[in-house]
This record gives sequence, structure tokens and C-alpha cells, in this order.
Amino acid sequence: MERPLILPSPGRLAFRALVLAAFALMLAPVLTVMVISLFRQEIVSFPPSGLTLAWYVNAWERQEFARGFGTSLQVALLAAAVGVPLGTAAAFALVRGRPRGGSALSTLLLGPLAVPGVVAGTALYMFYLRAEFWLDRDITSTLEGLVAAHVLLTIPWTVRLVTASLQGMDRAAEEAAANLGARPLTVFRRVTLPAMRPGIIAACLFSFIQSFENLELSLLLVGPGRTTLPVAMLNYLEFRVDPTLAAVATVQILLVGVLMLVTDRFVSIARTV
Amino acid sequence: MAALVLPAGLLVTLLLVAPMLLLFRISLNEYSPTEMMVEATTAANYLRAVADPYYRSVLGTTLAVATGSTLLALVLGFPAAYWLARMQGRWKSLATILVLFPLLVGNVVRAAGWLALLGNGGAINAALLGLGLVAAPLPLLYNTGAVVAGIVAVVLPYMVLTLSAIIESIPRQTEEAASNLGARPMTVFRRVVLPLALPGVAAGSVLVFVLCMNTYASAVLLGGPRFKMMAPAVYDQFVRGNNWPFGAALAFILLGITLVLTVAGSAVLGRRYRRRETEERA
Repeated sequence: MERPLILPSPGRLAFRALVLAAFALMLAPVLTVMVISLFRQEIVSFPPSGLTLAWYVNAWERQEFARGFGTSLQVALLAAAVGVPLGTAAAFALVRGRPRGGSALSTLLLGPLAVPGVVAGTALYMFYLRAEFWLDRDITSTLEGLVAAHVLLTIPWTVRLVTASLQGMDRAAEEAAANLGARPLTVFRRVTLPAMRPGIIAACLFSFIQSFENLELSLLLVGPGRTTLPVAMLNYLEFRVDPTLAAVATVQILLVGVLMLVTDRFVSIARTV
Repeated sequence: MAALVLPAGLLVTLLLVAPMLLLFRISLNEYSPTEMMVEATTAANYLRAVADPYYRSVLGTTLAVATGSTLLALVLGFPAAYWLARMQGRWKSLATILVLFPLLVGNVVRAAGWLALLGNGGAINAALLGLGLVAAPLPLLYNTGAVVAGIVAVVLPYMVLTLSAIIESIPRQTEEAASNLGARPMTVFRRVVLPLALPGVAAGSVLVFVLCMNTYASAVLLGGPRFKMMAPAVYDQFVRGNNWPFGAALAFILLGITLVLTVAGSAVLGRRYRRRETEERA
């Protein structure tokens, strides 16, 4: 790190203390959860009487967590699989096609980020109940219902990230390829698509994680036997926090960490955000 | 080409716009204990929410907590964002990932972390007891302070990333020029960095304020049973109260107040920025 700020020592000290406080506040809860998942005693207290990995086995044997993990994984994969292609196509059309009413369209597509999760979740719940009545089939507490709701999360993230990567691209490369005789489809496949790649990869990561971690939108749409992991964790946490729950949380933290590291090998995450 | 927008646009219309319209329609209906809901066109649900002292206090708590948390996030986030923006090379990507990582780890996981930190047997009380600083565990959990700590931790990454993006765009030479001309560091901050970073301050504060207003997990888990904010109150109406019209009205009050305050907030901050720009040009 280079000189962070031109400050005399008391000021610099205060500055450093604030920076440290901010990072501590952001990271402390994450680190604490990881640490207590290893504690031997069931009632959390410091210092631990010993360390064990037994709670991870215990967590996996608890049906609500194992099934919640499975549901969340399924929902997040399907939502990303639907939302990322749709969002990518929309972002491409918005940047390149410059359609009339383009800014209204992009406001619409980014809309799901502006509406609070609990509000959107209750609206969808009411909508699903009405649709169930018309179509005479279950939608709330089904996999399709959850996936449809979560697609709503993946579209704005994809549009935002892919738009950024398209706007940062130099169009001269496309023109050069066309001038050298490449057909439009070849230009798209060999020049445009590679330029969009970092945005698309980042969109996959963010879409998956946003869906996997989502609580508010899912609260009313889950049902008996089909609960997402965050909802299962919330229900458990209303009664207690123990190493079993910490183990579930740690698995989630590690999953996010691994996904970030893998993605970072393809695109620099620090630069796409 | 425009056809490529259609699938995504239609999906968002079907799954967000249509449900929101339906929810608004429901907020004008009447509640009936026997039939659940009676078709009507009345503002009674909105009036009840505004008149009822309980919901007024819920709204007051929500506004106070959101404002306080936003200010705290700004004060804590600015130095961290500056530090991040002025970093270079490998360390910078590492620090950015350290900010991004807690953001991507969900709210519930982080709330669990706060429960383990602040509880009676938690890390902080254990440390204080162990050092002999307190005789009995401090009641750190289930109060407004715990909720604010939880919320600030959740929103800080957004604030830091928004601010550091704009601070990065401020050329370092402007700061060096000011300090070479004899400005003290605080003056450089007040007269150069802060004015140039105002659009980021506005954008970050608005984004964070909206997130704070809609806090769910931190409020439910860290605030305890008697602490109530708007988002959990909306949810309760649908799950426990079964009063859909009233819950829908609460949802739209929350949405409306958030929208009005964010538009007003960005207008005020935006105008200050523009005024400064014209002053500088003159």
C-alpha cells in the first residue's frame, strides 16, 4: 500500500482507526460464525472447551438444512440459467440497438432492485394465490414458483453487469473485423461475445449468489417440505444460535468464497464491480 | 434487435409490475374476519396505518434506525473507501474482495454472527468477563444498538464500493496541489475531496437508506420480540394477522416513504453539487 492520506500523525491515527473499524464491522460476524462452528460445547460460550467437526455432520443430518441446501441450490442454478441469458440479450439490445424508450426499458429491468424484497415478496404471494385460483394448480411452495421469483433477482444484476462490459468495449475492433471481411455473426461470435464475457461470468456469479442467499423474497413463497436454506436458518435462529447453525452458515460462507475465487480466475472480480 | 429486450421485459412486467398493481388494488379492499377480504375502494387501511399509534411508532423506529444507520455507514465508510481508492496493485484487488465477500455472504449468516458476538455467552461478553471488566454479562443483544450494528455491517460494503468508485476518479494531483499550497489535511478533505465526492455520497446514502428502511433479518433476529420495523410488520400482517388489505397498505406506505425520501435526498445533495460546480466555474 502506498501513502494513504496526507495527514499528520493524530489525524492519520484517527483515519486508520476508522478504516479498521469499518473492516472489523464487516468481517467480524462472518469470522465469528466460522469460529464457533468448531466449538465442542453445544451452548455457545467463550472460550471453547475444545474443538470438533461433529456439528457439520449434525447439520447435514438435520433434514431442514440438508433439504434447504438442496432447494436453494436447485433454485439458484435454475434462476441463473433462465435470468442470465434473458438479461444478457436485453443488455445487448439496449446498448447496441438503442431502441426507442430505452431508458424506460432499462428502468423496468433494473426495477426489481429498487422494490424492497418484502414488498415484492408479498405482491408475488398475492399474485400467485390469484393465479392458483385461475389456473387451478399450486404455485406457492412449488419449485417453479420460487424459481420464477428468483429470476426477478437475476435479471437486473445481469443487465447491469453486461451493460457495463459492453459500454467499456472499443467498437473499432468490431469495425476492423467487419472491414477485414468477417460476417456480422462472425464479428459477434469472435469479437463482441468475448468482450461481453467478463460481464456474463460476473453475472452468473452474482445471480447465483443473490438467489442462493435471498431471504425476503422467498419468505412467503416457501412451503412445508420446500424451504430455502436462508428461510430454514432464520426459523432456527429465532430460537437459538448454536454450533450446528454456525456449521450451516460456514458451509455457505465457504461456498461463496470458493465461487468468488473460481470466478476470479476468469475475470478480475475487483474490476467488474 | 429490440425483440431481444422483450423476454426479459415481459418477465419483469408479469412478475413485478402486475403483482405490484394487484397488491395496490388489495390495499384498497376491506378486511372482514369471516371472508378475509371484501372488494371495496377505500383509503381506510392507509388512514388506519397513519392514525394507529402502534404503527406510527413502528414507522418512527424504522425512520430513526434507517437515518442513524445511513449516517454511521457514511462516517465509517468514507475513510475505508478513500483507503481502498488510493490503493494500488494486487493489494487493491484483495481489499476489494474483502469488502465484497461479506456483501455476498447473506444477511442471515451475518445476523447469526452478531448473535454469537453479542449474546450473553458471546465473544464480547466472554472477553469482558474474562478480563474482569464487568461482573455480569452486558445486555448487548435485543436492543436498538444491536440492530444498528447489524444493519451498518450489512450496508457498509455498498457504501464503501460506491464511494471508492467516485474517489478513484478524483485525480490525486488535485489533493497534492492543495496541500502544496499549504492546505492542511482536514482542509484538503473538506474543500477538495468531499465536494468532488458528493455525487458518490448522494448515490451511496440513497442506496444504503433504501436498504436500511427495508431491513428484515437484522430487525427480527437482533431486535428481539418487542422491537418492530416496517418490513417485519408487513410480513406479520400476511402470515399472522391474515389482514391482507392492511398489510398491502403498510407495504405501500413503506415503499412510498422510501421513494419520496430518496428522491428528495438525491435532489438536495445533487443541487448542492451543481451549485458548487457553477460557483467554481464563475
